[in-house]
Parts: sequence; C-alpha cells; structure tokens
Amino acid sequence: MRSLELTLSRRRALAGAAGLSFAAAAAGLWSRVGAAPRITITEGNMQPMPIALPDFVGGALPDPAMARGVTQIITSNLQRSGLFAPIDQAAYIEKITNIDQVRFPDWKQINAQALVTGTLSRQPDGRLGARFRLWDVYAAQYLDGKEYSTPPDNWRRIAHLISDAIYERLTGEKGYFDSRVVFIDESGSKERRVKRLAIMDQDGANVRYLTRGDDLVLTPRFSPSSQEITYMSYGQGQPRVNLLNLESGQREVVGNFPGMTFSPRFAPDGQRVIMSLQQGGNANIFLMDLRSKATTRLTDTAAIDTAPSFSPDGSRICFESDRGGRQQIYVMGANGGQAQRISFSEGAYSTPVWSPRGDYIAFTKQAQGRFAIGIMRPDGSGERILTDGYHNEGPTWAPNGRVVMFFRDPGGSAGPSLFTVDVTGRNEQRVPSPSYASDPAWSPLLR
Amino acid sequence: MSAGHTISIGGASTSRRDAWTLGGSIAVHVIVLGWGALTFAARPLTSDATPMPIDIISVSEFTELTAGSRNAPKAQPAKPVAEQIGERKPPDDPAAKIAKTEVHAATDKAAELPEPKPPTPEKKQLEPQRDLIAEAIKKDLAKPEPKKAEQKSEQKKAEAKPEKKVEPKAEPKTPPKKDQPKFDPRNVAALLDKRTPQRLAATGDVVNSNIGIGAPNASSNQLSLSEIDAFRRHLRSCWNPPAGAPTNKRVVVPITIRLKMDRTLAAQPEVEMKATDAYSLAMIESARRAIIACQPYTMFSLPKYETWKELSIDFDPVEMFGG
Repeated sequence: MRSLELTLSRRRALAGAAGLSFAAAAAGLWSRVGAAPRITITEGNMQPMPIALPDFVGGALPDPAMARGVTQIITSNLQRSGLFAPIDQAAYIEKITNIDQVRFPDWKQINAQALVTGTLSRQPDGRLGARFRLWDVYAAQYLDGKEYSTPPDNWRRIAHLISDAIYERLTGEKGYFDSRVVFIDESGSKERRVKRLAIMDQDGANVRYLTRGDDLVLTPRFSPSSQEITYMSYGQGQPRVNLLNLESGQREVVGNFPGMTFSPRFAPDGQRVIMSLQQGGNANIFLMDLRSKATTRLTDTAAIDTAPSFSPDGSRICFESDRGGRQQIYVMGANGGQAQRISFSEGAYSTPVWSPRGDYIAFTKQAQGRFAIGIMRPDGSGERILTDGYHNEGPTWAPNGRVVMFFRDPGGSAGPSLFTVDVTGRNEQRVPSPSYASDPAWSPLLR
Repeated sequence: MSAGHTISIGGASTSRRDAWTLGGSIAVHVIVLGWGALTFAARPLTSDATPMPIDIISVSEFTELTAGSRNAPKAQPAKPVAEQIGERKPPDDPAAKIAKTEVHAATDKAAELPEPKPPTPEKKQLEPQRDLIAEAIKKDLAKPEPKKAEQKSEQKKAEAKPEKKVEPKAEPKTPPKKDQPKFDPRNVAALLDKRTPQRLAATGDVVNSNIGIGAPNASSNQLSLSEIDAFRRHLRSCWNPPAGAPTNKRVVVPITIRLKMDRTLAAQPEVEMKATDAYSLAMIESARRAIIACQPYTMFSLPKYETWKELSIDFDPVEMFGG
C-alpha cells in the first residue's frame, strides 16, 4: 500500500511538475509576445583605441624637455601595449594650456576617443610634481586624474605610473608599465660569451648589471611579492641557488645541493622556493623553506620532473615531465601527489609558467624542429600558439597576465634578444637591450 | 491439431489481455491527443499574422546603409498602400471611356460637393424621404405658422410636379449634358484622370513594406531582421571593448537608448547596471562611447520610428573573449 501511495504521489508530483513546466513555458511565450526585442552585440572591433596625448604643460622644470619626455614615454608604453593608437600630435587642433579645460569637439574631430592632459612642475622642496587628467572625448566627461611627486632623477617612473593609470582606467585591468625585467645579458663572441645578470625597466631603459660575469648565471626568477630574485650560478663547477635583494643589494646562497639543481622559482608567498634536483638519471621536484631551509620532496618518479611553477593562489603546481615518454606538462597539488597531464598535442612541451592572473599557463613547445611560445588553460583546454619560429624559449608573464616576454635566437652567429607578445598573439614587439639578451623574468609591479 | 488447440487457448487469454491493452492504449491516446489538440489549438500563433518583411539588398546598398552620412537626404514619404504589384497599363483612351461608360472618378464627385444643387429631376428613391420630413414639419408647425407651412407645401408641390412632368425616355440623354457645366478649373488634373479609383488604391509600383502597420497582431511593424543586422554591424564597428576581460567572469552591459527622428540620440544612453569593478566600469564606458560615436543610425526607416525610437542593447563580448 505504501509503495502504491508512494507511486501515486510520485505520479501526481510528476504530473504537477509537468503542468507547472507547461504553464511556465506558456507564460514565457506570452511574455515574449509584444515585448520590445533586445539587441545583443556580441563582438566589437579589435582596433587599438585612438588616444590623444598632447605634451604635458611644463613649468619651471630643471630640464624643459622633461615634460615632453614624460609624454613620449606614456605614448610609447600605450602604443607598445597594442591596445592604443596614439594620434600624431601634428593633427591636434587645440593647444592645451589648462589641463582642466578641454574643448571636446576639437578632439572629437580628430577621432580621439580618449585624451590625456597633464602638467609637470618643480615643487618648492625640489621634487618633481606631476598631475594628469584622463578624458572621455565622446561622452565629454572626466574619467580619472592623479598626482605624483618624486625626485627629479626618477622622472621616468612617473611616466610609467601615469601609463598604468590610463591603461587600468580604459581596459579595466592593472597595467604593467611600472615594472622591471631581469635577464641574462650576453656579450662577446659566440665561443667566449660572457653572461651577466642584468635588470632594466620593462621598456628597455635604465639597464643595470647585477653580476660581473665571472660565474655562469642562469634562470633568474622574480619573487612574486617583493623585489627579490633567485637564480642559478655555476661557480667552480658547483651549481648554487642564489637570492638577491634588489633594494638592499644583499646576496645569499640558499643551498648547495649535491648533483645538479634546476630552475628554482619562488612560491607565491615569497617564503619558499620550488626547484628540481637531479639524482642519478632522473630529477624530482622539491620545495624548500627559505627560513628553515627544510626541504620537502614533492615528486618521486623515475622520470625527469622539472621546471615547476606555482599557481598564483599557491594551491597547485605545474611542471614538465617525460614520465609519459615525451616532455609534457602536468599539474599537481601544492603538496605533491597525483599529477594530471594537461598537454596532449604532438611535440614536446617545456618551461610551463603559471600566469599571475591564474587563467593561463605559458609554455615552450618544440615540434617539427621549431620552437613556439604558447598558452593553455590550467585544465589543458584552449591551447594557443602565440609565436613560432626557429628558436623561442623562456616565457615569463607581465604582472597583469596579459603579455608574455620570451627570448628568440635567430641561429647562426647572431645571439638571442627579448620579445613580448600579448595573449591574443596579435601584438609582438622587440624589447631593446644593450647587447644579446636571454632568459627574461618579469618583476611584479613596483611599489 | 493439438498444438493448434493449445495455441488457441493461450491465444484466448492473450487476446483478452490484448483487448485490455488495446482499449487502454486507445483511451490514453484519445486523452493525450484530445488534450493536446484542445490545448494547442486554444491560442493561435499570433506572430504568423503577416509575413515578416525582409529586405534583400545588394552589397553596395548595404554599404551605403551602414556607412551613414550626416548630410544624407531626407527619407521619401511612404508609398501608398499596395498589397501586390500591379501591371503598368498605359492610360486608356479618355474619349472612348466617356462614350462607353458613365463611371465618374471620385475626384469629380468631390468637385461637385460645394456647388448648390440645381433643381434637377429627382429619382424615385428620394420621394418617401421628402414626404416624411414634410409630414413631420406639418404635424409640428402647421397651425401656428401657416406661412412656413405654406412654403413647405409649395416646395413639396414644386418637387412633386417635376416628377410627373419628366418623361422616362428623356432621362438617359440629359445627364451627360448637365455634367458639362460643372467644370472646375481648379481640378483639371482630377478631371483628366479617368482611371477608376478602385485600381489606384489596390495596386502600385512597389510593394509596401509596412502593410502590417496599424494591425494589432502584425509583425511587420517591427524592425526587420536586416535592419537589426545592419544596426548590429554598425555598432560592432564602433565598439572597442576593453581588453581586460576576466576569463571566468562574463560582464554584459544593458543599455537603453532613445533616438530622435533624425536618428541621433535624444538623450544620453541609459546604462541599466552599476559598475562593480574596474573592468565592468571600462565595459560600461566603452559601450556608451560606441553608441555616441555610431550615431546617426541611418539604417532605420522613418515610417517605423515607433519601433526604433527606444532600443535596448546588450553589450556582451562573448564572441571575442569567450574562446
């Protein structure tokens, strides 16, 4: 009886549900009849946004050309991002004298969608003061404005900070212009190449050398949370993991491990370093606490597991391994354990790097004698090759996760140089460097 | 035989069960089909009342349509209603038409209206009406005002007399002669146009694209697919969505715009959402910029102004950053 009742009630419930769904469908149909249709725009154009950047108004500056220099750096930053098309200053109709008063029709006429006005002046305490205003020309409204002050020799940084503010306001994401890049500077002939650790602004300016070139240095990596780098040095045949604080100049040898050590990289908290150690014919991944120097083994296979990289939230690690035959990318939990393979195409994958946004993993892919830089989602979907050629290697992410820097070696007698490409693959740019350059590592935003 | 007998017994029990099953099946089918027929027939599809007008245009026309121009000429007034394209006929010989038929163009009659009616012989149909009025007046006003009554009675007599005098044989000859003095120099064109008025209303050179206007259930007083498509393409060319789209978050910006008859914005676009972060703020501003930069919206035709004077638009860059 109970089962019958149950059946009946279930049947009734089903009938009721069917009736309800039918009624809901009918109501939906009814509401659609007579309602004004909504038009959905699912696509826009990918043209860079036209932006007008008249020279900053300068007053009593130590160097009158400085105001123009700031404008030029901002213009160059925005142009290289590939998202903006600065309009030639020769086309400007209005000459800006007051940064708070703008004649919008004059800028609309030259098709500028955004306008930046600004002043640069010397403050009573001798520091440089900069103000800027960002305007939406079509909506004829004020969007953003900020003020900065800095010592006069730091004027380039003001330009980068203003570039970031403009970029963030117009694209909706953090900028990456106020950041630096460490890289391996390579000079001398191919046979007697001297490799030095060097650092420069992301646009190639302000190059400084961090090592003298006595030891072979490799794989510099930035801490994601501070201006600190870790790198490998090979002095007297001993591989060492080094730490270098860029602000204090303090150097520290983290560890002297038996056998070969590869690719140390910081964990997101900046307190731990993850690396691979070679033991016999295979290599495994280890995590080391920088304070206690305690080392934890994360993988234990008979294969070569190397190039580990943390996800930005610190919960997972991606690495390359040849445990399946060829080098492929795997993802595992931060404490090791079962690893899941995420790359499946033809070719060998190496040097996976998790984006600071967490949405992509950049990698180097070798297939048919060519090296490509690509990205894929952490679950292995959406693989996209951003650039392809004879030899591209060593991807590193901009702090906002929208641009990848890598080095390209054209082969022959020429040496490598640095390039950037955005995640769409449409905008590739060469980064100027004093001589040959390789193995770049992008810093987080300066604070 | 025994085998056959066994089968027949089994068949009897099976057939009884079959009958139940069949009966049940029929009953269920009748219920389901009946319910379906009643339910689905209850409300006819209103959207099929009239065919949806779809304009098929050439590439060059489309380019002109989407390009837009501030100096564009004003739209032509709407064509007269035509349900189908009529054949172009050369005008008939007016002289022959007059001789054969006595059909008058509507415009001729209109010209007659202001003129006082001459005392023409009345037809028999009008007689009872005249009598009724005269009788009613007689009843009301006969005794206190004898003069008026007399006048009315005189009128009645005057009207009555011609009836008797007019000879039925003379009637066909007189009307054409009496039409001639009604010539109105202001309506020469109307008089020259001897086409029948019915054909004017029924046919035209171009099929009217707005035949459904005024019909409550018509679908042709909506924007056509080609108009919506042209609008969408135009807006797409003006919209520069911000590049900072998060991969795991979809931001759709709903905006309502109001347009004037000159196809430009009547007011600032109304954004129906509030920015929650830097990206949604940049999205809202990019959508607003696109709407302002894209005007005037020349793809819309003036007769349909009611349908496009207010538009709701969703900006959703799903096809750009979704994959």
